[in-house]
Amino acid sequence: MADQLLDVKGLNCPLPILKAKKALKEMPMGATLQVVATDPGAVKDFEAFCRTTGNELVESKAEDKLFTFVIKHTA
Amino acid sequence: MASNPLYIVLCSGEHEKIQMAAMMASVGAVSERPVEVFVSMNAVLAFAKGSTPEERYRGGTFSDLLKAKHAPDAITLFQQGKELGDLKMWACSMALDVQGWELDRLEDDLFDGALGLTRFLSDAENGQLVTL
Repeated sequence: MADQLLDVKGLNCPLPILKAKKALKEMPMGATLQVVATDPGAVKDFEAFCRTTGNELVESKAEDKLFTFVIKHTA
Repeated sequence: MASNPLYIVLCSGEHEKIQMAAMMASVGAVSERPVEVFVSMNAVLAFAKGSTPEERYRGGTFSDLLKAKHAPDAITLFQQGKELGDLKMWACSMALDVQGWELDRLEDDLFDGALGLTRFLSDAENGQLVTL
């Protein structure tokens, strides 16, 4: 269970990333953010986002055109 | 995690190119990449303070689609990039002079100042330069 949920269903690039960044910025270090998206591009986008920002992508899964990510605020 | 800075020269007034610049700038900035945008030529007009989206954004087929699908406003994307990351925006001093404008004619809280092309290109030697 993540500490915070971010629903970005229906939003396209770059809004899921921008909203995730904004949410992470307001969360304490070590907290986890669950992001639920419908943009298929979000899978690779969140991989790259976590790699470049140094945050940890704890989970990434696709189910019925719904993409869920759990990001741990580590940077 | 510092990475190679991104420098964007935005000189087109086309909606599609302004939108792309805003997307690149905001995503780059929130990905911990320093971004600087140099706005010149027709692009300056799109940043006029108080313009309506209809006045601001003119383009082709994709511009119509972006408006119909309510894509995020380019000015808002630039603002979010500044709020969430290291994004600087510069207005071309030559373009302002030719247009007869001062910085206060442009949208508030967006531009870090007016700059000459020579200085911008000099800074850009340390990063990746994209022109739109």
